[in-house]
Amino acid sequence: MSGRVASMWLFGPALLWGAAAIAGLCATIVDDTAWSTIDRTASVVVRSETCAGCHPVEHRSWRASYHRTMTQRAEGAAILAPFAGESLEYLGFRATMTRSERGAPHVRITRSDAAPALLDVDVVMTVGSHRYQQFLARIDRGGGPEDVWRLPVAWHLGEERWIHLNAAFLEPEGARGEEADYMRHFSRWNDNCVLCHNTAPRPGLGEDGRFNTEVGELGIACEACHGPASAHAERHSNPLRRLLAGVADAGASGDGSIAAPSRLSPALESAICGRCHGNRIAKDVGAVLREGDGFLPGTDLGASSRPIFAWSTLGDPPQAPFGERFWPDGTPRLSAYEYQGLLLSPCYADGAVGGLGCGECHTMHGEEPSMQVRQDRRGDAACRACHDDAAVPQGHGGHRGITCMDCHMPRTTYGLVDGMISHRITSPDPAAWIGRDDQPDACTLCHVDRSRVWAARSLRALKLSGSAIAAERAAEEESWASRALLDLYAGDPIQRALAAHAIAREAAPVSPSLRLSWLVDALEDEYPAIRIFALRGLRTLSERAGRDDLRGLLAAYDFLGEVDMRVAAVDAIRRAIGPGPLAAHPERVERLIAAQERQIVWIGE
Amino acid sequence: MSAETHLRRAIVVIAVFLAVGLWLEAMYGLRLRGWVDDPIRREFLRLGHAHGGLLGLVNVAIAWALERLATPALWASRIRAAALGGALLVGLGFVGGGMWHGPTDPGPLILAVPAGAFMALASLVALALVRPSDR
Repeated sequence: MSGRVASMWLFGPALLWGAAAIAGLCATIVDDTAWSTIDRTASVVVRSETCAGCHPVEHRSWRASYHRTMTQRAEGAAILAPFAGESLEYLGFRATMTRSERGAPHVRITRSDAAPALLDVDVVMTVGSHRYQQFLARIDRGGGPEDVWRLPVAWHLGEERWIHLNAAFLEPEGARGEEADYMRHFSRWNDNCVLCHNTAPRPGLGEDGRFNTEVGELGIACEACHGPASAHAERHSNPLRRLLAGVADAGASGDGSIAAPSRLSPALESAICGRCHGNRIAKDVGAVLREGDGFLPGTDLGASSRPIFAWSTLGDPPQAPFGERFWPDGTPRLSAYEYQGLLLSPCYADGAVGGLGCGECHTMHGEEPSMQVRQDRRGDAACRACHDDAAVPQGHGGHRGITCMDCHMPRTTYGLVDGMISHRITSPDPAAWIGRDDQPDACTLCHVDRSRVWAARSLRALKLSGSAIAAERAAEEESWASRALLDLYAGDPIQRALAAHAIAREAAPVSPSLRLSWLVDALEDEYPAIRIFALRGLRTLSERAGRDDLRGLLAAYDFLGEVDMRVAAVDAIRRAIGPGPLAAHPERVERLIAAQERQIVWIGE
Repeated sequence: MSAETHLRRAIVVIAVFLAVGLWLEAMYGLRLRGWVDDPIRREFLRLGHAHGGLLGLVNVAIAWALERLATPALWASRIRAAALGGALLVGLGFVGGGMWHGPTDPGPLILAVPAGAFMALASLVALALVRPSDR
């Protein structure tokens, strides 16, 4: 009798637990509702804190990303600007940044002659946290109290100063005192920024023309890429289902309750990124403004929109208004067109399994928030995963110390006041572009002291393939200066910005001291964005050249300052650095500048 | 189970789970994929190593205490079996749950851990409560 009692005490609870666990597992295994494919079109957003319960590691990496901080309430650490009484004088207007009595960030914009304020508002949200931060305020301008507007000033993190948004876009200064020019980028958030900078946005345009905007979550959160997750969360609220998930899902494509980009084909996976990193034309703009874009991650992006290409048309009769966003060969030249670059790349292979997708190089859950490149895809490893040394020998073409991307993904993209790599993977063929001045090539963006004819001949000498060299097609100017310099003086705004960026890069095989004088004239460019490139380049080059004497002179130059102040500062810099490469031939400079294209490059937002 | 067998097996359990620790360290040193890249596996193998080793030590203590407390043989043999079984179920449950797991949770073998915990706990309670005069 006492033996049974002892056994019951010692083993009974464990046996009871074991029986219950086995019964529960069996019941879950045979429960069809636990395993059937879920129709997640009815799912709603559950927000990132719900996801964190089961996916703490992924949640932590997302917390550290710039995606999370894309849109935030203007509170506490989210605000990266001081708002301590700074002011920005620009175009005859003064923006003053302070705090309200309750501590909220506040922006007041007046004409410099102290007329009534154009804007006098509390900031309610911030947009961006990587390169610069923009600010949003709730303003009823006749559209209703729910309208939120982007203010025309932003905090530039690299420069640690306020900039006017005219300097972040590629356009001329504007007329002093002209309100329309100053407020050019004062735009409504509800039908604009909200769509790509938040999770599950719904602009909520009503029949009365007013917005009642809602977002699933501010910023780019889990469900922006994985889709609304209520069905997924509900299914996995059963712990036994979660325990069996590894056994049941191994190697499968999931239960359909959520989009897992790593399990999708390159086409579907890349479409998730392309939703925002590839400007699109909606099939039904009205529906987008009412309910959002209707895209469910993991499904066909083309069902709700088409990506904008150079040849994309709008209207009836059809017009192609997007050409200036692309180089003549169709390669995107602005950021937020990375998806189009990928689609145009041979490596994409039409999105079939085995082709290149965004996730081949990038991870949203890595350790490095900037650029989010996978640890195992840094440098040449990005290409070497497919193109091994046997197929493409290391250092082919006699180039060592540079990566595949330097030549095959050159920095021919402008975005966020920076030069960025192209996401269209190509092989350089400078010979094909001899005589053309409308598109930069990889060779002369690095060899900034050389012409395109030189690049074509060098390519041939290195036994790399290329078109036939027709040196006679080269324009007369090519004998005066390098391709990069010609672009800097005579290119369109994007060419000028990218040329200034290229000239300042460390990889350029020309001494920093020499390159210093090349950039000075660009400080006088009509476009403030290009003046920023020139100033930043001069700072970098003077540091590398050990020219500490230039530090003060460059600090005295304000790229948004009044013209007379800028001219005085540039004269002092020019005296210290010496004459530029074309100084002996002012008529050539005049000719090049006269050839400049001065269009406003309309960056779709 | 005799006192000697229990003590020897308890020491074997300690040795096994210490060896698991060596294995884990080696996987770290060699940066083995599927270990370094897998936080769930890492966490649960560590838990198995720690719990298995610790409960092995508890078994040594139980073996010593059963002699000191003169626990009746009928109870003592069952306490030994429960304590040793509990240590194995807890340690191996964690290891198995970590080896074969799902995207967010350990695998179903983790369900052995509570069963082992009940047995280990019951053996300690019985050790404390049963007197030499109890039959």
